[in-house]
Amino acid sequence: MPDGPLIVQSDKTLLLEVDHPSAEQARRSIAPFAELERAPEHVHTYRLTALGLWNARAAGHDAEQVVNTLIEYSRYPVPHALLVDVAETMARYGRLQLVQDPAHGLVLRTTDRAVLAEVLKSKRTSGLVGERLDESTVVVHPSERGHLKQVLVKLGWPAEDLAGYVDGEKHPIGLSPTTHPRTPHEQPAPWEMRPYQAQAVDGFWHGGSGVVVLPCGAGKTIVGAGAMAKSGTTTLILVTNTVSARQWRDELVRRTTLTEDEIGEYSGTKKEIKPVTIATYQVLTTKRKGVYTHLELLDARDWGLILYDEVHLLPAPVFRMTADLQARRRLGLTATLVREDGREDEVFSLIGPKRFDAPWKDIEAQGYIAPADCVEVRLTLPESERMTYATAEMEDKYRLAASASGKKKVVEQIVAQHPDDQVLVIGQYIDQLEELAEHLGAPIITGATTNKERQRLFGAFREGEISRLVVSKVANYSVDLPEASVAIQVSGSFGSRQEEAQRLGRIMRPKADGRTAHFYAVVARDTVDQDFAAHRQRFLAEQGYAYRIVDAEDLTTPTP
Amino acid sequence: MTRRAPGRADARNIVRMASSLPAAPAAATRHFADDLRQRSDTALAALLRARPDLATPSPSTLRSLAARASSRTSLERALARTDALTLQVLEAVLALEPLVDPSAPLDADVVARVLGASPTELPRVEAVITRAVEHALLWDAREVPSDPADLRAVPGLDELLGPYPAGLGPHLTPAPDGLTEAVGRALGPGGPAPGAALDALLAEAPPGSRTILDALAWGPPVGLVPAAGTRPRDAVNWLVTQHLLVRSDARHVVLPRLAGLALRDGRTHREPRTAPPEPSGRDVPAATADAEAASAALELVRRVRLLRRTWDEEPPSVLRAGGLGVRDLRRLAAVLETDEPGAAFVVEVAGQAGLVRDDGDAPPSYVPTVTDWDDLDDAARWARLAQAWLSSRRAPWLVGSRDDKGALRAALSPDLRRPWVPRLRDGVLGVLADARPGEGLLLAPEPRAVVEVLTWHTPRSVPPASAVEGLLAEAGWLGVTGAGALSAPGRALLADDDPAGALRAVLPHEVDEILLQGDLTGIVPGRPSRDLARLLERTTDVESRGAATTVRFSPASVTRALDQGETADTLLDELARRSPVPVPQPLDYLVRDTARRHGAVRVGSASAYLRAADATVLAGLEHDPTLAGLGLVRLAPTVLAASVPAAALHEALRERGLVSALEGPDGRVLVARRGVTGRAMPAPRSAAAIRMGSGGDVASRTPDPDELVAELRAVEEAARAGARARAEAAAVARSVADAGIPRPARTGTDGPPPDAGESSARLVVDPPDDEPGTQHPADGLALVRDALRTGSTVIIEMAGHTGRLERRELKPLKLDGGRLRALDPDREAELTIAVHRIASVLPTSSAP
Repeated sequence: MPDGPLIVQSDKTLLLEVDHPSAEQARRSIAPFAELERAPEHVHTYRLTALGLWNARAAGHDAEQVVNTLIEYSRYPVPHALLVDVAETMARYGRLQLVQDPAHGLVLRTTDRAVLAEVLKSKRTSGLVGERLDESTVVVHPSERGHLKQVLVKLGWPAEDLAGYVDGEKHPIGLSPTTHPRTPHEQPAPWEMRPYQAQAVDGFWHGGSGVVVLPCGAGKTIVGAGAMAKSGTTTLILVTNTVSARQWRDELVRRTTLTEDEIGEYSGTKKEIKPVTIATYQVLTTKRKGVYTHLELLDARDWGLILYDEVHLLPAPVFRMTADLQARRRLGLTATLVREDGREDEVFSLIGPKRFDAPWKDIEAQGYIAPADCVEVRLTLPESERMTYATAEMEDKYRLAASASGKKKVVEQIVAQHPDDQVLVIGQYIDQLEELAEHLGAPIITGATTNKERQRLFGAFREGEISRLVVSKVANYSVDLPEASVAIQVSGSFGSRQEEAQRLGRIMRPKADGRTAHFYAVVARDTVDQDFAAHRQRFLAEQGYAYRIVDAEDLTTPTP
Repeated sequence: MTRRAPGRADARNIVRMASSLPAAPAAATRHFADDLRQRSDTALAALLRARPDLATPSPSTLRSLAARASSRTSLERALARTDALTLQVLEAVLALEPLVDPSAPLDADVVARVLGASPTELPRVEAVITRAVEHALLWDAREVPSDPADLRAVPGLDELLGPYPAGLGPHLTPAPDGLTEAVGRALGPGGPAPGAALDALLAEAPPGSRTILDALAWGPPVGLVPAAGTRPRDAVNWLVTQHLLVRSDARHVVLPRLAGLALRDGRTHREPRTAPPEPSGRDVPAATADAEAASAALELVRRVRLLRRTWDEEPPSVLRAGGLGVRDLRRLAAVLETDEPGAAFVVEVAGQAGLVRDDGDAPPSYVPTVTDWDDLDDAARWARLAQAWLSSRRAPWLVGSRDDKGALRAALSPDLRRPWVPRLRDGVLGVLADARPGEGLLLAPEPRAVVEVLTWHTPRSVPPASAVEGLLAEAGWLGVTGAGALSAPGRALLADDDPAGALRAVLPHEVDEILLQGDLTGIVPGRPSRDLARLLERTTDVESRGAATTVRFSPASVTRALDQGETADTLLDELARRSPVPVPQPLDYLVRDTARRHGAVRVGSASAYLRAADATVLAGLEHDPTLAGLGLVRLAPTVLAASVPAAALHEALRERGLVSALEGPDGRVLVARRGVTGRAMPAPRSAAAIRMGSGGDVASRTPDPDELVAELRAVEEAARAGARARAEAAAVARSVADAGIPRPARTGTDGPPPDAGESSARLVVDPPDDEPGTQHPADGLALVRDALRTGSTVIIEMAGHTGRLERRELKPLKLDGGRLRALDPDREAELTIAVHRIASVLPTSSAP
C-alpha cells in the first residue's frame, strides 16, 4: 500500500499513524505479533521481538501472514533483512515439540534433527533430558518440563508444548446470571461478561495455557472466573497479598455458583485448602531454615487450573516452584507484560504465550474504564531544603526530595479542588503519609494496619462514608475502589513504571456518572524525584496518557 | 609433438614412444610465428590489447613477439583470464592435436563435438575459438586460407595445462587394433561412437578389465599396478598386451589417449561448460532493492559526515606504520553506531574520496579536508563516495585481519592496496548486473554463487571468497546493492550515467514536518529535508532511523541546542512551524524548564586572575587603556580575570604602580621570580595538504598497440630488405664486434616464409641504428624453449669465462632452475650454461 498507515523500520519497530483511515485495520492485523511499545497521540510504536513472533506462532499465525501484513500496510518497501529475520525467527518455534509418547511418557521430539543435536549439546539441557530414543526423540523427565522449556527459550529454540494437561479433580463451577448481594439490602443485579472478557477466556482456553493482558480496571477477576467456569475443576489462585485474596473471594462468591465454604484462603493468617484455594505469593516464598515450607500446597490437591494474578509481579522463587506445575493449565493475568527485572521470557516459557491483549485506550473508548487526566505538579523546593538536598548523600537524596515539606500544601490545594470526589493519596514513605493524613484529617492505611481495619476503611470509602483516604503501597494492587476518582501520588518507589500504571488503575473503574478520573503526581523540581517521575510517566505517556505539567505555584487556579 | 615427460625418470619411456609417432604433427610445415606474421595489423593490435604484457617492454620483432606469446609467464597470465569454456576448448585441441591427420582438419565443429556441445551451443564454441585465436592461445595451421580451419594450440600451452589435457593420457603407439579408425570416425561429422570397437576389443578380456578401464576413463589416466598373482593383475596384464594400458614404470600403468577417448565415447569432457552457472539467490522486488539502497546510501552519507565532524573535533593520530589505530576505530564505530568492519569501510571510503587525510604534522593525525562536499545535496555526496569506491584499489575488508608478520592491518594503512581489487569488483558487479530473474525482480545472489560464476570466468585464478564477500558487503553499505541485488543507483554508477540523479529518483520523498507527541518524541514520516535534519540534529536524540525517523527530546538534547545559541522561544517557534500539530505541553515545558536552568553555571578561560579584598583597589583597572593588552574582565566586584599569564600580569601592574603579590594554587603568596610564564598555548593545527595513498597511483606506461604493430612491421620490412643485401655472417660479425657489450640480437625467421617463394632464404635482421630496445631475456629464453620443443639448434651468445662474448650453435636439451643444458653438435659435447650468462639467442634458420 503506497499510502499505508505503517512504517516499518529496519530496527524492527513499526510506526503506526493513528489518524490514518486504515490505521484501525492495520492495528488489528499487527497486534497478534507486534508488541505495543508506546501509544502517544499521533504515532504508535510497535516492536517485533522474538517472543512476540513466537506468541503469534503459538496463536496459529505463520510467517507468511506476518510478512504479508507488513507488506500490505507498509507505506514504504519493507526492509528485506527484516522480512527474512521474521521468517527465520518464526520458523524456530515448533521445531521442537513436547509430546506424550504412549510408551515412554513425556518426550521432546523434533522435526529437524540438527536442532535437537544442537540443544542436546548445550550444557544447559544436560540433566533435564533422559535417554535418546532415536535421532529425533529424547525422553524428558516430567518434573523438568518447565525447566526444559525455560532453557529452550534461552537457547532460541522454544518448544511447542503439546503434551497436554492433567484433567485435575472435577469441581463444578458456573457463572451466576445475577450478582449475589454483598450486603443484605442490596438487590441481585443481572450481569454478563463483556465481549472482550469472553474473548480472553476463549483465547486462553483454546491455547491451553497462557497470559491474558488487560488494563487495570478492565475486569481481570471476571476473566479468571470465566476460565474457572470453563475448566470446572479445583483451582489454585495465586495473588499478591491478603487484601487482594479477600477481593478475589468476594468477587467469586458474587459472580459464580461458588459459596464461601468452597473457597479457602492460604495466607499468613489462615491455612485453608478447599476446592478453590487462594494463596499469596508471600506465603509461598516464606522460607524456614532455607526450606520453602508451604510447597506442599501445590500438591495438596489435584488442581485442574492455576491462576496467577498480576503475573508480572510473580517472584522468581515462585517461577522456580511452579516450573513443576507444567502438567496443569495455567492462566496468567496482568495489565502489562513489562517486568522491571526483564523476566518476560520466563513468563513466556513457564506460564505460556500471550493469549489475549487489548490496548488500554480501546477499552477506555468502549466505556469500560474511565477516561483519565494526568497532571504532574512540579514543586520548587525552598532554599533551605535545596541546600540540604544538594549536600545529602546519594542514597538519601530520593527520600529527601520525595518527602519535601512543600508537598503537604500542594496536596491540600489539590484536595480542595476536588471537593466532591473520592480522593486517594498514595505514597511511599510512612512518615510523610502520616503527616499528610493528620494534615488532611483523613484515615490512613499502611502495612501496619490490621486486615480487619483495612477492610473496614476500604468498605467505608466504597460506600462514600469517607471521601479521603491516605494509603501506602499496600494499596498498589488489587484493591477495588470503584468510586475513587482522584489519586494524588506524593512519592513512588523510584522509577517503577508498572507501579505508576497500577496506581492509575486504582481510579480507572468506570464511574457511575461518567466522570473523568484525575491522577496527580507531585514532584520536587530539579531533584532525582523529577528524574524518577519522568521514568515512571514514560509508561503512561506511551500508553497514550499525555501528562500536563504544572508548576505548584500555578495551582491556585483550578485545573480545567 | 613432443610431450614433456612427468617428473619421474621412468616416464621417459612414454616420451620416446610418443616421439616415435608415425603420424607427425601437421604443423611441420608451418609455425605459430608464421601464423602471427600473417595476421593483419588490426589483429595484431587486438592481440597486444588483449595481452598487454606482450607489449611491455616492446618486442623488437614479430618473431620475438611470437616467442613471447608462447612463453610460460605470458601464457600463464593469459590463461588466468580465460573462462572455463575456453579452457575446455584449449584442452580439447591439445588432446586431439596428435590424433588428427591432415585430411581431417581440427575445426570448430570437431571441437564442439568432442566437448559434447549441442548444435545450439556451437556459435558459442565458435566465438570462444575466434577469441582464443585472436588472443594467440590457438592458431590456425591451414596452409590455404580457403581451407577449413585447422586449429593448433600455441606452443608452450601443453606445459601449462599439464601432462594430461582433459585427463587424457599420452598418445602412444602401437594403438590398439581398430581404435585409431574408430576414434577418427567418431571425430568426423555424424560419426558412430567408438564404443563398439572397444567392446570388440574387450570381448575376450578377463573379468574386471572393463572396471579397470572405466576407473581410469575420466582421468587421471594413471593407475597403480595391482599386486602380482591377483585377478586384477591378470586383467591389467592382458590390457597391457592389447595396448589398452601401457606400463609407464614398474608400478604404474597409463591409459593411452585413444583408449581414453574411446571409453569416453569420443568426448573429451563430460559436460561442456558453455555458459557460466546461473547464480542462485533470492529474488528481490526492484522497489525493495531501490528503497534499501536509498536508505543505505543516506546512512553512509550521514556516517561520513559524522566521521568528518568527529575527526574535526578530535583528530585521531596516525600509526607509525600508517593507518588508524584499533582503539580509534573502535571508538569511531561506537560514534557511528556500527561495527568495526562497518566503521573501517566508512573511513576507507571517506579516504578514497579525499574527505579525510593525514594532516602531515609531526606527529600526524587524520583530519577532514576542506572540500565542497559539504555543500552538495545527499545524492551528489553519495555519488562522490560511490565513484571513489568504484575506482579504488584498496581492500578495506582486510582491516582487523593479520598480515604474514602477525601485525593487525589498520584502516587507511598503505598496505591495504591490492591492484586486483578493481578487476574483481568489476567481476562481482558484473555478476549482479547480469542477473535478471524476471520482470520487476532482481536477483540477490549468495556470495558463494558469485564465486562460482567468477570461477567459471577465470577458473585458473579463482577469487578468494573473503574478498568477494567483502566487496558484496561494501556494495550493500554503499547502496550499490539493496537487499543484495544491484539497485538502480548502482546500475547508473556502473554505467556512469548520472548516479546522483538515479539515487535522487529512488530516495524517499522529503518531508518537512515533524509530528510532535506528548511523550517527548517526534516522528518524521519520511526523509527529513535538509533544514529539518539540521534542526533535529541540533535538538534531539535519534531513537530509530529508517524510512521514518523517530527522535526524542531530552534535557540533554535541548541543552545541546541551547549551547548552540538557540533560546527557548526560537526553538519552540521553529518546532511549532514544522509541526502540523500544536507543540505538546510537556515538550513546551521541557524546553522552557531546560532553558531556565541553562547557563546557571558558566565556564570560561583565563590565564590569570586578580583579586583584592577591597573592591575599590580594582576599580577602573579593566577600562585603563594602559592595561588594555592584559584582557582584563571583571567577574565579581573583587575579582578580575586576565588573558595573560600571572607573571606578565604581575609585571604590568607593577609598572603601572600597583603593587601586587603572586599567589600559588593554595592561595599563599609566592616569592616572585622573573621569567615564570605559563605554558605556551599549542600552535593552531595546520592542515597542510598531504594526499593520502590513493594519489600516487601511476600506471606503468604501455605503448600504444597500433604504433607498436607499425613498428614491428617496419622491422619486418627492413629485415626482408636486409636479407637481400647482406649475408647473415656479416651481420652477426658486426653485432658481435660491437664494443664487447652484449648486443641486442636481431632475430630472423627459421621457417620458410610462407608468402614468398624464397622459402630457403635465411633472413637475418640487421636493424636500423635508431631501433629501440635490447633483446628481452624472456625473448631469448622463449627461443631456447622453442628450440627445445622442436629439437632444433640455436645460436647462443654468452659471456665466457673471461667475460668475452662467445657465440656457439647449440642444441638445447633441458632448461631448468636457471640452467640450460645443451649439446654442441660441432664438438659433440654437452655443456651447462647459467641462464644469466646468455647475452642473446639467435635462431639458426636452417641446419648447417
